[in-house]
Amino acid sequence: MTMAALKRAALLLLLSLYTAFAAGPFVWAAMLSLRTTTEIHRNHFAPPNPAHWDKFAEAWFTSNYGVYFTNSTQVVVSAVVILTLVGSMAAHCLARYRFRFNRVIYFVLFSTIIFPPQITIISLFQILVQYGLYNSKLGLTLVYVAIQLPLTIYLLESFFARIPSDLFDAARIDGYSDWEIFWRVSLPIALPAVATTVILNFILLWNEFLYAVVLITEEANRTLPLGIQRFIGDTQEDVGMIATGLMIAIIPVVVVYAFFSERLIQGMTAGAVK
Amino acid sequence: MPAGHEQNLHQDGLRKPWATIGVFLLPSLAIYAAFTAYPAVRTIWNSFHRVLPRSDEPVGLANYAELMRDEIFWRSVRNTITWACTSPLVEVSVALLLALALYAKVPGARFFRVAWFTPVLMSYVVVGILWLWIYNFDWGPVNVALRALGLGSWAKPWLGDPNTALPALIFVTSWMWVGFNMVVLLAALHSLPREVLEAAELDNCGWGGKLVFVILPLIRATLLNLVVLSFIGKMKIFDLVWITTKGNPLWATETVSTYVYKRAFEWTTFDLGYPSTIAALWFVIVLGSVLTLTWLFRLRQKLEY
Repeated sequence: MTMAALKRAALLLLLSLYTAFAAGPFVWAAMLSLRTTTEIHRNHFAPPNPAHWDKFAEAWFTSNYGVYFTNSTQVVVSAVVILTLVGSMAAHCLARYRFRFNRVIYFVLFSTIIFPPQITIISLFQILVQYGLYNSKLGLTLVYVAIQLPLTIYLLESFFARIPSDLFDAARIDGYSDWEIFWRVSLPIALPAVATTVILNFILLWNEFLYAVVLITEEANRTLPLGIQRFIGDTQEDVGMIATGLMIAIIPVVVVYAFFSERLIQGMTAGAVK
Repeated sequence: MPAGHEQNLHQDGLRKPWATIGVFLLPSLAIYAAFTAYPAVRTIWNSFHRVLPRSDEPVGLANYAELMRDEIFWRSVRNTITWACTSPLVEVSVALLLALALYAKVPGARFFRVAWFTPVLMSYVVVGILWLWIYNFDWGPVNVALRALGLGSWAKPWLGDPNTALPALIFVTSWMWVGFNMVVLLAALHSLPREVLEAAELDNCGWGGKLVFVILPLIRATLLNLVVLSFIGKMKIFDLVWITTKGNPLWATETVSTYVYKRAFEWTTFDLGYPSTIAALWFVIVLGSVLTLTWLFRLRQKLEY
């Protein structure tokens, strides 16, 4: 009995150590974000005492993080809205209608998940320059829709396909049109799955870097990851302010995670378990 | 595919309303054509040309011939493949141990699960900067801890040394992704049929035996999926390298993605053809290796059952 208890305690200790390892860097960054660089250089691991909350205002207004944050929000929110609508329309159609090439279209859309981004990124640069969409938030938004579309359709299609067809027959007898069936039957039932894809797409795009770094160069259009990169380029040594900037980028994701952790974990694991 | 799927398709399919199907699919197909298919084809076309800002000039296979002799490219291929082959094994095996620990009904399992998942929520940009600090020579926690333990001679600029830079970055990606793999494996463990596990217990099967003969074969598909998923992710790796080392020191951390970016947008050759050639060849290599991996896993499955 004591042996079992001892084993259990050892296991718990091990798991706690791993937790410190996994979450430690984040906690450390949070502490750094509330301290000035002078304080940090005196001791890198001291708690924030006193806490300099005003550093967030400084980063927001004088280091341009307010602009980056607004840009990120605009691009990501509009991309997610378009993705959700366009993706669920396609997923509904592929799950609900039987027609020639149904599976071919599904496979073609889905298979792009494994494409390395390089295969499109150089030409996307050329194309966006050609159409005057280079260095614009609209261009980046459209590209974001394109890169997340396969995953969105994949997740939603498998959910839509599980809705019992009796519901659709009933709706049809009640005189619903095809569009109404999608909008008033399918979509409301699939709301949990839709929510999952919304959260997942939000976080993945909020963190996106490669496409942004290629397609955006103007300061006024930079998203948060680009803003942070520019900031470390300019001020290598200002550890305190960099940490504040990092927290500004992390906080929205943490807030979303705090509210929807179960749903998000479901979404991220759904693809892998199958 | 769920059982109802075919039937649903069938019943609605009796009407074949092509106009409706078109309306539902058109936006997705248009976006796919404009921002995925067309750019991909154009990249392949580019790979046979010299593409300057104002003019294109066909060069046949010259770019490919040059690529074969490009030592930096092959160095970056070696680095990327090293990354893609080591990371999945580390990630999935550590994740499996952690998932088994949580599966054994430890108090606070829910908390652990949520906490371990957090690294994957941060962008590579954030993670990269954090680990630049963690590996910092003067005040990074790694070197501080080594000095505190009296191992000061082991302290080094981990990302500045050509011998340790790549392993140090591989370690970072594993730190980031273990939690994700763990959560997936835990979900797979929880979905195992109770009866089978109980039967194994009745047969007096110990924990080790149960793991090797019962649990592992049952979650094998999930394990392999995770390996492939992680492999694909590492073949694409760009952000982390770009933020931390930019491929330095001495190409030690150069990956194919960073090299393509440098050749396309940083080197003053202004030619987009050559980087397109790298992209096209890499595309074939990634596609080929993913297909081979899945085929190998399938084949083994068939042989075993």
